Amino acid sequence: MIRQTSLFLGYELRFLLRNPVWPLFGIMQPVLYLIFFAPLLGSTTASGSMPEVLAMFTPGSMMMIALFGSLFAGFGMINETRNGVLERLAVSPVWPPAIILGRVAKDMLVLVLQAILVMGVAILMGLRIGVPEFLVMLLLMAVTGLFAASLSYGLALAIKDENGVSQLVQFFAMPLTLIAGLFLPVSLGPDWLQTLAKFNPLYYGVEAGRSLFRGDLGDSTIPIAFALLIGLAVVTLVWSMRSLRRLAA
Amino acid sequence: MIIEAHGLRKTFQAKRGRGKTEEVEAVRGIDLAVEKGEIFAALGPNGAGKTTTVRMLATFIAPTAGTARVAGFDVVKDAAKVRENIGYVSQAGGIDDNHPGLDQLLLAARLAGMSKKEAQARADDLLTTFSLTEIAKRPAKTLSGGQKRRFAIAIGLVTSPPLVFLDEPTTGLDPQNRANLWDEVKALRDRGTSVLLTTHYLDEADALCDRLVIIDNGTVVAEGTPSSLKKEVAGDVVTLKLKGVEEAAEALRAQTYVKEVRTEEGLLRAYLDDGEHGLPHLLRVLEERGLTLESISLDRATLDDVFLRHTGRSLRDAA
Repeated sequence: MIRQTSLFLGYELRFLLRNPVWPLFGIMQPVLYLIFFAPLLGSTTASGSMPEVLAMFTPGSMMMIALFGSLFAGFGMINETRNGVLERLAVSPVWPPAIILGRVAKDMLVLVLQAILVMGVAILMGLRIGVPEFLVMLLLMAVTGLFAASLSYGLALAIKDENGVSQLVQFFAMPLTLIAGLFLPVSLGPDWLQTLAKFNPLYYGVEAGRSLFRGDLGDSTIPIAFALLIGLAVVTLVWSMRSLRRLAA
Repeated sequence: MIIEAHGLRKTFQAKRGRGKTEEVEAVRGIDLAVEKGEIFAALGPNGAGKTTTVRMLATFIAPTAGTARVAGFDVVKDAAKVRENIGYVSQAGGIDDNHPGLDQLLLAARLAGMSKKEAQARADDLLTTFSLTEIAKRPAKTLSGGQKRRFAIAIGLVTSPPLVFLDEPTTGLDPQNRANLWDEVKALRDRGTSVLLTTHYLDEADALCDRLVIIDNGTVVAEGTPSSLKKEVAGDVVTLKLKGVEEAAEALRAQTYVKEVRTEEGLLRAYLDDGEHGLPHLLRVLEERGLTLESISLDRATLDDVFLRHTGRSLRDAA
């Protein structure tokens, strides 16, 4: 099982190494936000200093890559429901979950690498973060990627239509972004917005990120975010594997 | 027997808008028996149920009713065992455009349990067999239809299975590529591999297979070797175009050397065991009646004539 998963992962990574540019495009959006948007946020933090602004803003910009990158990961698989690749794998001696797990592992890895680059840019701009917080943040990104990518594969296998999936992802991405307080903490907003945010898994990810960037490793938002994202990832993974099995019907 | 199927049925629930569903009987009770080491064809028009049958035998979908044993294992209860013993090349091919053919071949080999070294050796073998070595590292999207099809078959053979399913293997290929692929399929049989292929090309079934079934509307309408099926119809067929088809048909039916007469829209087909000798007699009969011919041709009976006899329509019209 692990062997087959890592075989699929290796196969996907070889493709990535041949075309390493695309994930770089993925981090352009958050980097542009860091450079051009973060400087406008001076008045939203207590001291208004750049390190403080970056500590507030960088976690949100990192979640952005998960939303606009990993959530589209399933796209490639829609084509494979038609070109016979999944049909071929289904009747070969393959442990079916490995087909999805291998890809999800690749997407997690890509997201973590992208996260490192974005944090690198933020550090160059003046962000200060300790090594333990940095590492926990990468773990947080990994579980976010796990959830977003499995959700994307689940949608792809259930809907099997590029137009449908892209519309649906776009439809959810915008409100999720706004209600998570991706750009500005929802604590700046009215109560109803704060209540609404509590139903958005992304909100916990962003808040946990902000706690980490403040150097507050003991904050309760961190275990909540991990538990929630891992729980959701398991649910979506099971769902996408079921959809894969139902492909033949 | 490498394949033994009894009463295979498959019913799909097709959506018909607004939550309504309709039962579609794709396969309505098919029996098949394929011997070890033979090339067996399922011939029939599009939509006859060939692909559905192959998908059931390859364990991709479960039959609604009936049983099948493939390589000695039940396709439902021992699906995993069946999968270890078959290669399956679907109509779509199963080639991923973004990756090079070699990577896909290696992945398939490693997933089947081979070590890196074994996989590399097996891939090299197959690349040579199918003349793919030169293009092995190019992304599949840059390959031609024939090259992709060869990769698809190579991947299907990666485990050296005793049985391969080829679903419409030459659809969309040019004549040259088709002929090459036929040779490769024959070479498979020479190496002892059993082949079940589906096709809607008469000449393909005729040229390639040892035995075949003709499938129409989800049932087997005829079974046998190409020559025995054609013999059933008669050796030769005379096709006449003339006015007064019915009168001519009546006159010819009375002749002892004419086995069967069929008519359709100004065309008359007379089946004769010995066309060369029967033709002069046949022409004399028509002349006596004062029937003028527009055109005439004498051909060997083909599987299309077999299909026509069993289904009442020509395969060319059915497809």
